[in-house]
Amino acid sequence: MISLTSPVETRAHRWPAGVKLGALCLASTGLFLTGSAAVHVAALLLVLALYAAPGRVFLQAGLRSLRVVLPFVAILLVWHAVTGELRAGALIVLRMVTLVALANLVTMTTGLGELVDLIRRLTAPLRRLGLPTHLLETAIPLVIRFTPVLVARAENLAEAWRARSRRRPGWRLILPLTLQALDDADHVGEALRARGGPLGPQ
Amino acid sequence: MQMAKAADFTIRLDDLGYEAGGRPVLSGLTLHSSARRIGVVGRNGSGKSTLARLLAGLLAPTTGQVRVAGIDVFRDRRAALETVGILFQNPEHQIIFPRVSEEIAFGLRQQGLDKVQAAARCEAVLRSFDKPHWRDAPISALSQGQKHLVCMMAVLAMRPRLLILDEPYAGLDIPTRRQLGRYLNRAGTHLFHISHEPADLEGCDQLFWLDRGQIVAQGAPAQLLADFTAEMNRLGDLDDIADLAG
Amino acid sequence: MERNIAHVALFAAMIAALGLVPQITLGFGVPITAQTLGVMLAGAVLGARRGAAAAGLFLLLVALGLPLLAGGRGGLGVFVSPTAGFALGFPVAAFATGLFVEHVRLRSAGLAAGLGAVFGGIVVLYILGAAGLAIVLDKSLAEAFTLVAVFIPGDLLKAGITGMLVQALARVRPQTLAWHRGAAGAGDLRL
Repeated sequence: MISLTSPVETRAHRWPAGVKLGALCLASTGLFLTGSAAVHVAALLLVLALYAAPGRVFLQAGLRSLRVVLPFVAILLVWHAVTGELRAGALIVLRMVTLVALANLVTMTTGLGELVDLIRRLTAPLRRLGLPTHLLETAIPLVIRFTPVLVARAENLAEAWRARSRRRPGWRLILPLTLQALDDADHVGEALRARGGPLGPQ
Repeated sequence: MQMAKAADFTIRLDDLGYEAGGRPVLSGLTLHSSARRIGVVGRNGSGKSTLARLLAGLLAPTTGQVRVAGIDVFRDRRAALETVGILFQNPEHQIIFPRVSEEIAFGLRQQGLDKVQAAARCEAVLRSFDKPHWRDAPISALSQGQKHLVCMMAVLAMRPRLLILDEPYAGLDIPTRRQLGRYLNRAGTHLFHISHEPADLEGCDQLFWLDRGQIVAQGAPAQLLADFTAEMNRLGDLDDIADLAG
Repeated sequence: MERNIAHVALFAAMIAALGLVPQITLGFGVPITAQTLGVMLAGAVLGARRGAAAAGLFLLLVALGLPLLAGGRGGLGVFVSPTAGFALGFPVAAFATGLFVEHVRLRSAGLAAGLGAVFGGIVVLYILGAAGLAIVLDKSLAEAFTLVAVFIPGDLLKAGITGMLVQALARVRPQTLAWHRGAAGAGDLRL
């Protein structure tokens, strides 16, 4: 499975994941606390500069992942134009775009392995409280492995359906898919036990 | 690969029984053997896979007991991990991780090796199979035969004294079967091979015939496989496929 | 135990896989995706705790940067975007769905699951989703709610599918539904 980490190697790839995550939390809190338009504009420009620094490919990938907030930008601007508070609307749009862009930036510059390590460190106190957090180290790769397997299963089922029907399969495939997934789960449970699954590293 | 000491290694199944949903799958099964290559032949639905799972400690027996080299493989999981490994029929049912090295390292970490040791052992196993370039390969990109080999490497990396094979060759072509068979012979562990295909079991030292949850015959492969094949051909001319279980 | 991990992980993968199903458009032009169907199913099949664990695990992978949310979205941006309330609401919705099926004893497992999905996957999820929207867009809860109400018919459809699916599961694989009374006799199939 392809992670959203950018293949363009930036300087930020080498910064510690914890620092980036901490900075993101601080920036979000800061922007929610201030109502100053100047601060918001400056923040957005700063984030855009960060996107532009590694080059065009990186900037384009970054802007592409921002497209999901566009409908909300449109809704907000129309809404506030109608109520006549365009300035307040613009401030909300700025904050929203900046925060999403900043958070995406952390994702784009931090590898999956680093984040998993960070999670392990963050959950260490829970582990000391006796919570079985080592199970995450098994569960995360399991999900990554089984998502494409399930998608392939669904495609096979759709093919088997189409071979004998002219109608679209749609939601009718979900029962056989669920049954197969449950069978898979039983087999995987067995495979985990066969190699000591929940024992955890000693 | 480590050679297991044959002298003190015995599989003991005593009066073993297993029920699923109130229906007996195995009953009163007793099997003692120290042979290096043990084979179990039987039809579909004879209880072969259940037997494999009981021997691997994946299922709890309803009655009787399972001991492999003196270990209760269901209760004592830590000891069981050092003792038995199982290779399933379908590699998709065994592979847990997205990459080859993660898959191989998993069992090793469960055995108590730290990250560095597990990585080193993983490298060594890949090298002994001449596949060092597979380390970072995504499992999803491998062929069916290659996935089987990954499963085998992952289990053999744990150096079990007994390897249980639950029809590991089903659906594979002849060259792939032969290659996997060669790797297995080289591994030097005890083998407990379960199959409905007589040809798979010709090289066994001792053979058991399982039918409807019970052992109906045992002996040397030559005679037993001939009897089995004759009986299967006789049944093939009848129509018992219509009978529903239970 | 092993089976619990496997079930939780597989339902997390199921939520992800359903998010990759191309979205369909309802009669009146509103697009719906199958992802929340996965959330409803996780709660309705696995029950409150394991269902919430599956949705939480899915969310963790999204946070780690895997593009598993419907439309190929993922990463930390999801958690500060206007739809953050919906995403963060997934585990709560699965938990509520599971809580409903575990505690509201109905004769029909399918009916319990369908109503549970309405409660968890619609009532609870929309409250959280609208709250998230209200915070990020700086609107009142009622105003935020009007923005998302168009998606409710699609989700009612998914709750209906959840009910039918669980009804079928209760028939062909009752041991899976630990919360369902009929499953008691099948307990010996478990490890």
